Amino acid sequence: MVFKTLFNILLSSRYVIHIVILVLLIENSFAQQKEYVFNSKGNICNFNYICYSQNNEYESIKRPFIFIIGKSGETTIETYINDSLKKSPQFYNYMFVYVPNRGSNAKNKLECIDGLTSLLTYNFKYGHNNLFLTVYDPEITQADIDANRLNAIFKNIILSKPDTNKIALVTNKNIIDDFKETAIKYDTEIKKDENEFGTYYIEEENSESDESTKEIKSQKNYFGPPTTYKFTLTGIVRDKSTGEALPFATVMVKSTSIGASTNADGYFTLLKVPTDTTTLIVHYMGYNEEDVFLTPKSPKKNLLVELYPSTHTLKTVTVAGMKEEVVLVNKTDINTIKIAPKRLEQLPNVGERDIMRSFQLMPGVSASNESSSGLYVRGGTPDQNLVLYDGFTVYHVDHLYGFFSAFNSNALKDVQLYKGGFESKFGGRLSSVTEITGKDGNQKKFNVGADLSLLSMNAFVEIPIGSKFSSVIAYRRSYKGPIYNAIFKKFNKSTSTTSEPTGGGPGGKQIQNTKVTSYFYDLNGKFSYRPTDRDIISLSIFNGTDKLDNSSSSNASSFGASNSDFSMSSTDLTKYGNVGSSLKWSKKWNDKLYGNTIVSYSNYYSDRNRSQERTLTNSSGEETTTSNGVFENNDLKDYSIKSDYQWDIFNFSQLQFGGFGTYFDINYSYAQNDTSIVLERQNKAMLTGGYIQSKTKLFNDKVQFLPGIRTSYFETTKKTYYEPRASISYNLTNRITLKGATGKYYQFANKVTREDIMSGSKEFWLLSDGNSVPVSSSVHYIAGLSYETNNYLFSTEAYYKQINNLTEYSLRFNPSPMGVSYDENFFNGYGFSRGIEFLAQKKSGDFNGWVSYTLCQANNHFDIYSDSYYPANQDATHEFKIVALYKYKRWDFSATWIFATGRPYTAPSGAYSITLLDGSTQDFFTVTSKNGLRLPDYHRGDISVNYKLLAGKVGERKRREIGYIGFSIFNLYNRTNVWYKQYTIEDGEILETNVNYLGITPNLTLSLKFR
Amino acid sequence: MKTKINDIFFIFLLFVVIVIGCKKGDNQKFTDTPIIESYLEPDSFLNITITRQIPFSTDVDYSPDDINNLSVKILYNNSTHILTPIGNGKYVDSTLVVKEGDNYNLSFTYNSKNVSAYTYIPSKPVNIVQSETVIKIERMDSTSGPPSLGTMPDPVTITWDNTDASYYLVIVENMEPTLDPIRDFGDKTPPGNMFRKSPTNSSSEEIRAMDFQYYGTHRVILFHVLPDYAALYEQNSTSSQNLTNPSSSIVNGYGIFTGLNSDTLYIEVSEP
Repeated sequence: MVFKTLFNILLSSRYVIHIVILVLLIENSFAQQKEYVFNSKGNICNFNYICYSQNNEYESIKRPFIFIIGKSGETTIETYINDSLKKSPQFYNYMFVYVPNRGSNAKNKLECIDGLTSLLTYNFKYGHNNLFLTVYDPEITQADIDANRLNAIFKNIILSKPDTNKIALVTNKNIIDDFKETAIKYDTEIKKDENEFGTYYIEEENSESDESTKEIKSQKNYFGPPTTYKFTLTGIVRDKSTGEALPFATVMVKSTSIGASTNADGYFTLLKVPTDTTTLIVHYMGYNEEDVFLTPKSPKKNLLVELYPSTHTLKTVTVAGMKEEVVLVNKTDINTIKIAPKRLEQLPNVGERDIMRSFQLMPGVSASNESSSGLYVRGGTPDQNLVLYDGFTVYHVDHLYGFFSAFNSNALKDVQLYKGGFESKFGGRLSSVTEITGKDGNQKKFNVGADLSLLSMNAFVEIPIGSKFSSVIAYRRSYKGPIYNAIFKKFNKSTSTTSEPTGGGPGGKQIQNTKVTSYFYDLNGKFSYRPTDRDIISLSIFNGTDKLDNSSSSNASSFGASNSDFSMSSTDLTKYGNVGSSLKWSKKWNDKLYGNTIVSYSNYYSDRNRSQERTLTNSSGEETTTSNGVFENNDLKDYSIKSDYQWDIFNFSQLQFGGFGTYFDINYSYAQNDTSIVLERQNKAMLTGGYIQSKTKLFNDKVQFLPGIRTSYFETTKKTYYEPRASISYNLTNRITLKGATGKYYQFANKVTREDIMSGSKEFWLLSDGNSVPVSSSVHYIAGLSYETNNYLFSTEAYYKQINNLTEYSLRFNPSPMGVSYDENFFNGYGFSRGIEFLAQKKSGDFNGWVSYTLCQANNHFDIYSDSYYPANQDATHEFKIVALYKYKRWDFSATWIFATGRPYTAPSGAYSITLLDGSTQDFFTVTSKNGLRLPDYHRGDISVNYKLLAGKVGERKRREIGYIGFSIFNLYNRTNVWYKQYTIEDGEILETNVNYLGITPNLTLSLKFR
Repeated sequence: MKTKINDIFFIFLLFVVIVIGCKKGDNQKFTDTPIIESYLEPDSFLNITITRQIPFSTDVDYSPDDINNLSVKILYNNSTHILTPIGNGKYVDSTLVVKEGDNYNLSFTYNSKNVSAYTYIPSKPVNIVQSETVIKIERMDSTSGPPSLGTMPDPVTITWDNTDASYYLVIVENMEPTLDPIRDFGDKTPPGNMFRKSPTNSSSEEIRAMDFQYYGTHRVILFHVLPDYAALYEQNSTSSQNLTNPSSSIVNGYGIFTGLNSDTLYIEVSEP
């Protein structure tokens, strides 16, 4: 009868798909144990377990439970036989549950316990206080218990081995005390401190025995039966302290592979949640992982999950590798790296926390381009990386000659980088995608903060108005501090003002005035309005400007015979920047359909005037003015509209689709003096299209398959472009995942390199004209393998990328024997890049970090340069990076070291003379084979230390973090790394000058915030 | 378990070290590419000069080929001629007289590469008309200051037929055995006895009085040249980004291999 009841309950719970029950009679004399099967075959939590009750009473649920995990290698029945606790008279009314010791590590051994307790203890009215666990396996430590959060379930846990004095030795006395039955009903919910806004820091000395440090963990408090089965749960994940929605967080049903990621607005939908008493695990980098214990009373729509920023307990790294710490949805996302801007300050910096620089520490992203915040991903160039900021495309991501990224980390919430094989949702780029989500602003309380470093001042303010409106404004501006000057001089030391002989002889006097007004600033603003809990309307504004002015003027009046005045003004003014804005409307149409529509505008402009104006006034007062130099202007406008939808058709399949339209207006002009325009281009065109893709899980969710197609119609070429893509991932075991992806990619707006051997190549944006600047394309093939344990991640990926229709501009060749037409100096070619990346990461502990190595080859083939493949400008054969982070009390230490093969370059190699028909000779210069030389290898070490500033008094147990003081040294051992080489030809001789990257650069940062 | 992880870590590091250790040196600093200089004029023997580049770097590898003893071939009228080396990189074929309108293909092997070039001989300039045969210019010295434009004579205009916009070049050469300067050059080095105009694809050229430096009889040669020769003049600036190798028909080499044709006129420069 008892047995039947239990069976019915188990069956009706549907938590377990089917249960086979075996009854074994071993000790007839006393009582009989019962053996059950948990879950069905194929489920990771499929195993047999044994229940035993001294009083042979299997019906009663008003009793304590002792769960027992046996020794490694023991079967359940052996554990049962060997266990002596079950005979203790004190435990006469207890239920013993023997769980097999499965798997090779603690995580495997412990991961299903929670599910089983949830199953067996429903209807159990005494809750948490009467649940106990004994572990006979000495390999399982307190840390493992913590990692699996079993403290939240069991009142007491006894391990077989003492672990750092936390748990006493197993003695009968202790067990009796520890496993004592509590007859008082336990159902009080742990009350959370509603005033806990901000990030708290708990003094580690005090934390050991302090129960309250753990109080923010939610605990299971409902132990009754489920009422709903296989239902659809929707919700939103937010930051507890600010109300900020958390995009791309993972939400999993514990002990199953059912899971989902939140979308850009923080919404998630879980289909076929087994029961309304299951446990959800919600994970987001930089936040405490949260268990959400569902109860029949929990809302099934718009469930609010709030996560705490993780300073108190988190000791994991800032940058997670290919997958998240807990198995789950992200495991299957190919080639993705994610950064939590919240934790960026832990990494060394040159003067600014920088998201782009942080990506450069990962394998497959080149780190040797100090002068580019743009990402060189897997042999691709920065223009082949799509940068989306709140939905609009950003075309230029640099400040101050590329030393700093244009993104203010104070305004950012989430950044993801797709290194290749990216999905059909994204398009218009050949290599990679960086998706940046800006902060919505604190939705609960007013907040303000400021950072001051040797480079810039940075301030932000967050203003919520009511519960429906939030806003954030962040402003950053450089000032001419030591770092700014160091970088600025680097670029401008070559523009020395030469003293021109004026004919006045030694009597001449020269006055030089230099007015330098250079700066950069950026402004981010985001205004969000949530009229209903299903709609979000947000306006995002971004403006970044660099003005680099190194102009000077000089006057010379002379006293000699010629009696003339000479004045020269040298202009060296570069102004560039971005203006972008997007208006986004997101709507959750129903539980299964979510969509958003974005209207956006993005403008990149660059205006360079590096010229000299000479005015000569002769004795009769006549003035002659000549202007000479380089005038370069690039202006790109992108007007876009796009709509994206997600439709969760089945619990194993999600359909994503959308449409887009972009109107490009890109102009470029290049002149060498005030009269001769070398190149002038004005291209306008419309690009329209759509995509559809489906994310499907197969074979017990072990395989995730994501096929898709994107089509685009480009007005200029009047052609339709089809881009089929697919990626697949297969969880071979719990720890090993195999991944593969392929796809076709087109790019319509490209950054064209203007080759300049003498003074360094420059780049400019052009829209494809279908002719001399064709639409470029690429095909990716990627395969990867990752192995992950609780504390370590090992990952390797290999890739091959074929690229067609690359364009370069060079004045080195004269393609037309019938004269010079600079418009013809566009040359087309093709290329490939291939490589293999390795990453070994220690994810947790006070000391953590990673080591990565990339072997890469990026080759191009332009007929005009060479008959064969040559290394592309960005080719770096080997890249090796080490990142070490160490945390001690309020201190964060970090060190990085980077090694990269020197990049290739082309140099003048020789000279020859031709005797012309008039008897004169003309000198010509030859250059080395294209990129035939390599700069010296690049390497650099950086260190940093941060000290957290806390509110409150010393000695208080719990203090809020209000900022930090950071000190970092960039290029610690002052390595001279060559950026590029400059050449000047004087009297037929070549003078070579190395332009170097930054030497040793210390920086000090003070960061303060109100909350 | 821990040992296993450490092992994997160690193997990984070892692999990295090995790979870094295997770095190969692949610098291709200087390519020994031959320089060709050859002007093919009707009624003269075909001759060609082959030289080496002057490298900027000292440690360069030259090809073992002997620049004075190459097998230089000319394919002309379907027959192959091997030129005779006469030293200093010069090669000549005393049986091959260049003819107007014919095509010439050059080939030889140098530094394991086949160097080739082709050209043809353009037509002789026709219908040349010269506006003046005598030009009178006042003698000047440094004390008199610059001459006023009013006193300068009109330029000499030379016109010819150019229906296909091909390139022409005017070169003027003083024929006198001793040079009689028009103006005082002061401390400056006196200019040579020859000057040129830029190549043009129009059908006329002006020679201004200021262009002349010396008195006496001048020979004016009007060359009909090919675009590759004209391109040499486009590259007269060695500043900034103009590291341009002029376009030519030469493959795997630099220089000039071009046909040309000319006619000569005379101008007398005298004092009024």
